[in-house]
Amino acid sequence: MDQQGQNGLLTTYREGWRNRSAFGLFISLLLVSFYVVLYWEHKVQEQFGVAPFTAFSEAVGLRNRWYLYGLLYSVAMVAGAIYYLRRHGNSRYNRYRITVNVAIQIALGFTLPFIMPLFGGKEFYFSYFWPLKYDYLYPQTLADLPLYLSLYTVVGSLLAAPVLAVIYGKRWYCSWVCGCGGLANTFGDPWRHLTSKSTKSWRFEQVSIHLVLLIAIATTFLIGLDWLIGSEHPTFHRIVAGNDWRDWSIKSFYGFAVGSILAGVIGTGLYPAFGPRVWCRNFCPMAAVLGWIQKVGRYRIKVKPGMCISCGNCSTYCEMGIDVRSYAQADQSFTRASCVGCGMCAHMCPRGVLKLENSWDRPEDKERQRLSVVDF
Amino acid sequence: MRIVIVGNGVAGMEAALAVRRREPSWEISLISEESDHFFSRTALMWVFSGQMSHRDIEPLERDAYARLGFRRVRARATGIDTAKRLVSLAGGLEPVPYDRLLIASGSRPRSGPWPGSDSRGVGHFVTLQDLAWYEDEVHGGTSRAGGPPRADAHLRASESHSPYGFRDVSAKRRGRLARRPAVIGGGLIGIEAVEVAVAAGLRPRFFIREEWFWPIALDSRESRWIADQMSHHGVDVHLEHEVERLAADADGNVSAVHTNEGRYEADCVVIAIGVVPNTSWLEGSGIELDARGGIVVDESLKTSAADVFAAGDCASVRWFDGTRRPEQLWYTARDQGRVAGQRLLGDSLHYQRGAWYNSAKLMDIEYTTAGLVNWNLDGEKAWFFEEEGRVRSTTRVVVQQNRVVGFNMLGRRWDHSVLIRWIEEQRTLDWVLAHLNDAAFDTELVPPLRISGA
Ligand SMILES: Cc1cc2nc3c(=O)[nH]c(=O)nc-3n(C[C@H](O)[C@H](O)[C@H](O)COP(=O)(O)OP(=O)(O)OC[C@H]3O[C@@H](n4cnc5c(N)ncnc54)[C@H](O)[C@@H]3O)c2cc1C
Ligand code: SF4
Ligand code: SF4
Repeated sequence: MDQQGQNGLLTTYREGWRNRSAFGLFISLLLVSFYVVLYWEHKVQEQFGVAPFTAFSEAVGLRNRWYLYGLLYSVAMVAGAIYYLRRHGNSRYNRYRITVNVAIQIALGFTLPFIMPLFGGKEFYFSYFWPLKYDYLYPQTLADLPLYLSLYTVVGSLLAAPVLAVIYGKRWYCSWVCGCGGLANTFGDPWRHLTSKSTKSWRFEQVSIHLVLLIAIATTFLIGLDWLIGSEHPTFHRIVAGNDWRDWSIKSFYGFAVGSILAGVIGTGLYPAFGPRVWCRNFCPMAAVLGWIQKVGRYRIKVKPGMCISCGNCSTYCEMGIDVRSYAQADQSFTRASCVGCGMCAHMCPRGVLKLENSWDRPEDKERQRLSVVDF
Repeated sequence: MRIVIVGNGVAGMEAALAVRRREPSWEISLISEESDHFFSRTALMWVFSGQMSHRDIEPLERDAYARLGFRRVRARATGIDTAKRLVSLAGGLEPVPYDRLLIASGSRPRSGPWPGSDSRGVGHFVTLQDLAWYEDEVHGGTSRAGGPPRADAHLRASESHSPYGFRDVSAKRRGRLARRPAVIGGGLIGIEAVEVAVAAGLRPRFFIREEWFWPIALDSRESRWIADQMSHHGVDVHLEHEVERLAADADGNVSAVHTNEGRYEADCVVIAIGVVPNTSWLEGSGIELDARGGIVVDESLKTSAADVFAAGDCASVRWFDGTRRPEQLWYTARDQGRVAGQRLLGDSLHYQRGAWYNSAKLMDIEYTTAGLVNWNLDGEKAWFFEEEGRVRSTTRVVVQQNRVVGFNMLGRRWDHSVLIRWIEEQRTLDWVLAHLNDAAFDTELVPPLRISGA
């Protein structure tokens, strides 16, 4: 059956592990520890003499711990997808979206990168683009990749991704393709209601996400410059790229702060505390770029006039912390930069008030940037 | 200027916001017996099931009163002295003086007329306190998100007939939670009370006096689908049952519902036979009420007293069919609140009820209606289509003298504003059927409605 709308009532706040209970926070602690050991395994090895993930990967025939991580990631997504589809799979949009997203992770996020080196190639992730995959536009990376992959990366990051975002909104990537978004929408789904809807959290997001974007662009630029002139300026080279991978440099700092801490430890580890899109909402530079494009593109959420009963189901289940209700009760169709088009607001609405659509109609919707209903 | 508003429901809050938008310095006091914060009464069912928290059903952030400079008065208003311009409060609190007053005190549940209706374990599903009672009976308490923030000491000072008082919980007395709840009254609040019991894993009984569920809005075919859904979810739907009395055990806890058809065990009973204007506290204040208890207002929502206005469920307003009676809907309360806000500001403005539309969700089935349906118009004909493919839906178009006058749709989403436009444009049935999908509001990827044989 194809239906729309949530079937049956959810019992979200009556389930301990899905809220900020001791159990929920314990899950968070486990996830954080997992990431800390994964990223800083060499420190663990120095301390305890074992590298647990590497040892395990080799035992099961995966070349290194990153493949093990990719495998676990895929397993978590499949398990989360089953959980999600059992609850919300009665609607086609949800079913197609999650299925495509999981398939892409398994095929492009795990299998292909694992297989390519077997045939003498380089491992390559077709589903990631700059600036999310921040090293894919480093000149050295482009020079090392076969030509067709360099072209794929450049065209994909600078042309295809933005154009698709104009046509379909950022959701084509954030909710159908991206692995980070995919994990959030499957494994992270039980905690989606925990994303803060407060005005404060919106203000924070506006600053933080653009700050990371700025740093991402600056880092890429400096590393490009280093590639051109680094050999003549050893001090510059030392600061930007470092002489050894263990050196603290701008490059390694970005990898540490953004790649490991924000995307991994905080972004995923804190699902049970702050909701599943902590990274996507507050830090992802790709989301920042696509969000701007979305504001001028076709995507919007259309509001049926006069039908909203202000119940709050849409806002509660918005994983990006958008107060959808404030627009719905004001009869205001809207496009918010952060909206990843997951469709859950429309799915949860008991009065069918909301509809995701791609349309050039009424572009004035896009201009509204009110902070809350009581901002006059 | 001192503005006083009795009620912080949608009507009262919309008025307060309208005033504040233009007058940053006027003194605005909101008197509320029920709650600290403005919340969506329409959303009680989701708090019950645990789908939302109390915080989630509040449309404004909790600092709204402070930020907007609203004075919060948590007390029961007991009357109005229109000569001295004072609202008196229960519990010996200082009366509140006003220059302009808005009464937006909403509805209260209609009490059961049957013997035994006040047994322990019998309640309603309209106020926050009703919600707390029903949660206690079925779940043994609130969800993990907790109850609403409240300083409820004043509720003890409320008279016993206040709809916001706390009820005794039979589950506590009995030492076990309700296993067999019963809901009396086949309307929208009734079906919500049934649905939340289903979500809690119970098999509720649903007593309905009429031949089928919700006859004022549905025809027998449409209603059968809803009844099938309910049965499918384990609800015992008892149609054409007249309740005669409620029985209680020796301890005073409700134990059974007696109807004209027999005796049915029940350990918790929700009476949902409608709501009435919550205006008994106005008796003796000289403000004119109609036979139903609704506050009589003119086209601009002014009551019989100078500078006193009324809006929302408690006011007798003009309906789309020209009659005057209270209309208990979220959007009409909101619209009236906005008009009342302009009136408090001193503008002259009329409240105009537009065309009728509404939507609901009956178990898992979404419902949209627009125009005149179930009105038994002269010479009306109904065109009915039942879709039974991957999507299940029903479409009923009411036609009078070859013009489309109403729509009743189940199972799919429709943009009622388009349907209303077609009614106003006096479209024919053929034209409407040919264009029907222009009004579709289905979520993306849902295949459009295809009408076979049309
Ligand atoms: C369970 C349920 C589901 C509903 N679902 C829908 C729906 O889906 N769609 C729809 O259109 N409508 C629905 N309604 C109806 C809708 O909620 C009401 O029409 C609307 O809330 C009315 O708003 P109001 O502001 O007039 O009054 P209310 O929201 O009832 O507010 C009354 C206020 O007055 C205060 N008050 C009352 N008496 C006193 C007193 N003596 N002293 C001090 N304060 C007082 C109370 O504290 C309260 O703040 C539903 C109602 C219920 C109960
Ligand atoms: S606004 Fe709706 S579609 Fe956008 S992120 Fe929030 S829930 Fe998803
Ligand atoms: S848009 Fe729908 S879900 Fe959101 S508040 Fe309005 S009625 Fe509720």
